[in-house]
Amino acid sequence: MKRFLFLTTFLALPAAYAETKLELHTGIPGGKPAVLKGKDASLQLVATAVPSDKAPFDVTRSVTWTVEPASVLTISKTGVATPLTDGTATVIATSDGTKATATINVTGAASWRTASFTHEIVPLFTKYGCNGGGCHGKSEGQNGFKLSLLGFEPGEDYEHLVFESRGRRLFPAAPENSLLMLKATGEMPHGGGARMERGTPDYLALVRWMEQGAPPGNPDDPHPVSISVFPPERLLQPESTQQLQVTAQYSDDSFRDITTSVQYDSAAKDMLEVSSTGLVKAAKLTGDAAVMIRYKEMAGVFRATIPLGAPMGEFPPERNFIDRHVFAKLRTLGLPPSAVCDDATFLRRVTLDIAGRVPTTTEAESFAADKNPDKRTALVDRLLASTDYAEYFAGKWSALLRNKRGNSPARTTYAFHGWLRESLNSNKPYDQFVREILAASGSISGNPATGWYRAVTKSQDQLQDVAQVFCGQRLQCAQCHHHPYEKWSQQDYYGFAAFFSTVARKPADEPGEEAVFNQWRDAFALNPKTQKNVKPTPLGGQVLALKPQDDPRRSLASWLTAPENPFFAKMLVNRYWKHFFGRGLVEPEDDMRVTNPATNPELMDGLAHHFTESKFNLKALVRSICLSSTYQLSSLPNEHNATDRQNFSRFFPRRLPAEVLLDAIDTVTGIPTKFAGQPAGARAVALPDDSFNAGNYFLTVFGRPDNTSACECERSQDSSLAQSLHLLNSKGLQEKLSGAEGRAAALAKDKAAPEDRIRRVFLTLNARTPTAEETKKALDYVTAREGKPAAWEDLIWALINSKEFLFNH
Amino acid sequence: MLTLSSRTHSNSFCDGLSRRSFLRIGAMGLGGLSLSQLLRAEAQSGKGKSQKALIMIYLPGGPPHQDMFDIKVDAPSEIRGEFSEIATNVPGVRICELLPGMAKIADKLVFVRSVVGAKDRHESFQCLTGRLNEKPPPGGWPEIGSVVSKLQGSTGSAVPPYVNLSQKMQHTPYNQGRNSFLGIGHSPFMPLGSVKDDMTLNGVTLERLHDRRSLLTAFDGFRRDADASGSMSGLDDFEAQAFDILTSSRLLKALDVSGEPDKLRTRYGKGTAQVQGDAAPRLNEQFLLARRLVEAGVRVVTLSYSFWDWHGGNFKNARQNLPDFDQAVSALVEDLHQRGMDKDVTVIAWGEFGRTPRINKDGGRDHWPNVSCALMAGGGMHTGQAIGATDRQGGEATERPVHFEEIFATLYHNLGINPTTTTVPDLTGRPHYLVDGTWQPMKELIG
Repeated sequence: MKRFLFLTTFLALPAAYAETKLELHTGIPGGKPAVLKGKDASLQLVATAVPSDKAPFDVTRSVTWTVEPASVLTISKTGVATPLTDGTATVIATSDGTKATATINVTGAASWRTASFTHEIVPLFTKYGCNGGGCHGKSEGQNGFKLSLLGFEPGEDYEHLVFESRGRRLFPAAPENSLLMLKATGEMPHGGGARMERGTPDYLALVRWMEQGAPPGNPDDPHPVSISVFPPERLLQPESTQQLQVTAQYSDDSFRDITTSVQYDSAAKDMLEVSSTGLVKAAKLTGDAAVMIRYKEMAGVFRATIPLGAPMGEFPPERNFIDRHVFAKLRTLGLPPSAVCDDATFLRRVTLDIAGRVPTTTEAESFAADKNPDKRTALVDRLLASTDYAEYFAGKWSALLRNKRGNSPARTTYAFHGWLRESLNSNKPYDQFVREILAASGSISGNPATGWYRAVTKSQDQLQDVAQVFCGQRLQCAQCHHHPYEKWSQQDYYGFAAFFSTVARKPADEPGEEAVFNQWRDAFALNPKTQKNVKPTPLGGQVLALKPQDDPRRSLASWLTAPENPFFAKMLVNRYWKHFFGRGLVEPEDDMRVTNPATNPELMDGLAHHFTESKFNLKALVRSICLSSTYQLSSLPNEHNATDRQNFSRFFPRRLPAEVLLDAIDTVTGIPTKFAGQPAGARAVALPDDSFNAGNYFLTVFGRPDNTSACECERSQDSSLAQSLHLLNSKGLQEKLSGAEGRAAALAKDKAAPEDRIRRVFLTLNARTPTAEETKKALDYVTAREGKPAAWEDLIWALINSKEFLFNH
Repeated sequence: MLTLSSRTHSNSFCDGLSRRSFLRIGAMGLGGLSLSQLLRAEAQSGKGKSQKALIMIYLPGGPPHQDMFDIKVDAPSEIRGEFSEIATNVPGVRICELLPGMAKIADKLVFVRSVVGAKDRHESFQCLTGRLNEKPPPGGWPEIGSVVSKLQGSTGSAVPPYVNLSQKMQHTPYNQGRNSFLGIGHSPFMPLGSVKDDMTLNGVTLERLHDRRSLLTAFDGFRRDADASGSMSGLDDFEAQAFDILTSSRLLKALDVSGEPDKLRTRYGKGTAQVQGDAAPRLNEQFLLARRLVEAGVRVVTLSYSFWDWHGGNFKNARQNLPDFDQAVSALVEDLHQRGMDKDVTVIAWGEFGRTPRINKDGGRDHWPNVSCALMAGGGMHTGQAIGATDRQGGEATERPVHFEEIFATLYHNLGINPTTTTVPDLTGRPHYLVDGTWQPMKELIG
């Protein structure tokens, strides 16, 4: 990041303001004067008050602006400078006697600059939505006029605009009567309506470009190489504003203000609103939010933190780096965390999250009785060492790596699932795990790690899955056009595709299986845009020089799993963070764009660093997460954090996933579900593939994924009426409740005191003992129905349907 | 009332004007609106008392277009078929003699004779989604009811936005209610299909259900404010709805036609509860159910009607099916008109493809994706027309081919959704327009 120099002046002043500096930002680094070049130039200045004891804040709209000499340029109340005559002027911002100045050189004020079609005209089509996917930007164009999507192909746009249809769209002799302008202003019937008004700066820019003869521009013309956003981040008080300033740096090292030419998008509109001139307004909601700024193929971001400013009180103990980063953020926000949860809640929460099951009655009893002060650590270690952990996480990876049965023999999906389970059980380092999958050769029976290649057969899906699952980069867009929110172009896409271009298959010895192997030839993929072959190129890296006998997938795996890879560790820690907290630091968890920043970047870096340093030790990562105070916070809000949904000031409850819920019901009713071809007592979370969904309405209706996508979002956690009906009144549940071998029947026969039985029911269902009131209510109910199993069925039924059971909290 | 333009990009047309603001400008231009006009404008913009709705009748197997709405009296005998045509109450529009009920109300109907873009595949997919299932996006294409559920949600009363009345059909690709990238939360509620078994009490009496509910209330004290995402309260809502269904409810009442006057039930006709072929029963009652569900607040009702894959005995089958179909459709359309629901509720009946011009050796007609037909009504459309034409043999569309996606654009339009500017995101976050390409709502029917 470049250092920007501010011209600042201290002046002496009333005591209350003595410690507040005023800074003026022009977008030009190095303290050089800013330049206004050409009659149509403009420059957004941003004035910032910098108190010595508080965070800086925007005062662009409240300072008094003056210019010396006033003949050179003029400045608006909103801080926008426009030229009058050539010369040098000083802009002075004054606030309560504090001053800041900036120097601006005005050149060419008498004449219009020649606008660049590529860099100034095409971005207007983007700004006004002309080349959007719903209008002329779609692949068929709109009503015969086609523009490239979001202007990524200016050469084509020039052709279509200037020459196509016998040049009818432009009328250089009278530009204002051009079809283009008449349509754009809605003066002629236009399906898209009036997009711009006559006389506005952008309208005039288009007209002038035509007056200048609609030049296509020279390929050697200076072109923008980067954009910078000021300020990059800010602590924004609720309902305050911040003016943004966006500068483009050109290939000739010149700078130009593009604040009004870029597109602004707020990622969280309930927290931040942004105008087309870059004025950001914060709402009342506390937390981090970002504004995405796009200009041609470049993107930038403004990050805002909107504090609550509540009194902090006492924080839970800082147990590791996770707490350090989370609590630091909460202190910045003024958002006090909830207290650490009780033992019973922790036992249930962590057993569900690590082992994918509810604690047994015995576990609940003995954990409550355990006097070891370090019992939570011991519990996490015990769960991580259990096969339940491996089974549960193998199911997670099985869905992501698309272990779908299809028409394959069962042994193929079973083998891959088994390999995943064993890898997780033995805590295979994550880099090795990924290398073995990516570079796998052979048949499934010979090498189960080829399971991913069994399911994902097209190189297009292979590269997209790898980019999404392991890098958090959604490259799909770049198959057909430049990614709209990222730097990825089609060249990047096909350079990545080339890694899979030599993957070949042949029938394996085992029936119904194929063997995957690397074909000895030059690896490349054809970029359909340029019609040129692209050699294997890592994302954001250089073209690799590979020999025909090299397996490009090995090179890919080496690049991917290297400690310095910018994506690999972050993607995994974000995915696991979401597993345990219900929300990623980046959301969606596998869409890690520059323009989609983490809500706590320091924590993201800390986790990635920790994971890399541990040599990609998955169990160690889970251990750190689960032993943090942050993970152990109560879900019950205090008086300040009820609306928090992204700062982890408390635990966010979430409904149990389909398989976990089914297993939990089986456990608490004492009647297991039978799955075809699986041994008795097999858990739903341990099912090896998707083929069981079709025969199990419970799994379907609660959203178990069909393993068709590389996104965890395929698992639906939505609730529905059909689910509620099924939980309240399904034949299957009633049979489990009333089964002769079931828990209710056993409880009815049990000779122990009813209070004791009720206590055990609560321990089984909720991993805690009942309150006195709950005991009384339950006692009244069962006493009134003495000796009938029905009473115990009803009690278990009611507890199953309670939110305390249905949610991990 | 004086807002002239609103530059919000959501819910607006390509020109940046919302439908409402457009209406306001219109009002200014006309020098103000009467109260009734205003109310109508309200209703048209989807904010009125009654909701915009869709009833889609899927005809599994592919009905014979040339024996229904496009009789080829001049074709050679191996093509012509056995039926003659009759005049309708729209001059110049003639349809099959087996459809006299429709002929009498043809001014309230639209016969699309030139539906193109089908595939030779026995599945409801294209009729329900508008899409071919060639390269589905991650998660799969959603059915129109799921899209409406996602975009508009429930009407607020205790009814789901999307209800599918089909029973499970033996030929599985006929079935509806597929999961999609919009997630199971937007799948249809299927009271005669997947949830049927859960809708009547299983092994407990109503009294015991009440006991259980009181127990649940006593123990369900987990603090709801622990969940800021709304999923806990959402679950509470569904739970309340489910109890309503299990005890007695608006939805359950809507599903029970016994309260309807006998005369009206007779008007809709019976059909048969017997499953036809490997598809659906021919239950005319479902048309009445559909209307009742819409009245109860459902936005999209889909149903499957009979079985139309007549490779043999085409004409015998037509003689069995068309009179029932004629009665059900004409009763529904008349009923909607009588209740003043015709401006809000669109009806469409169609199948996955048409039938071969040439009659085969078994007196049947085979699959013919080149052209097929659709019957539409209501939705505030310009009814009383036949759209498109086929060649002399009924084999190819010669005039005004109408693509499936054009019909979908029209259906979305009628539901108050702009199909060309509205998007829904798939599992990768990629936005998808509701219809592909440049398809627009059918100009003949709207505006």
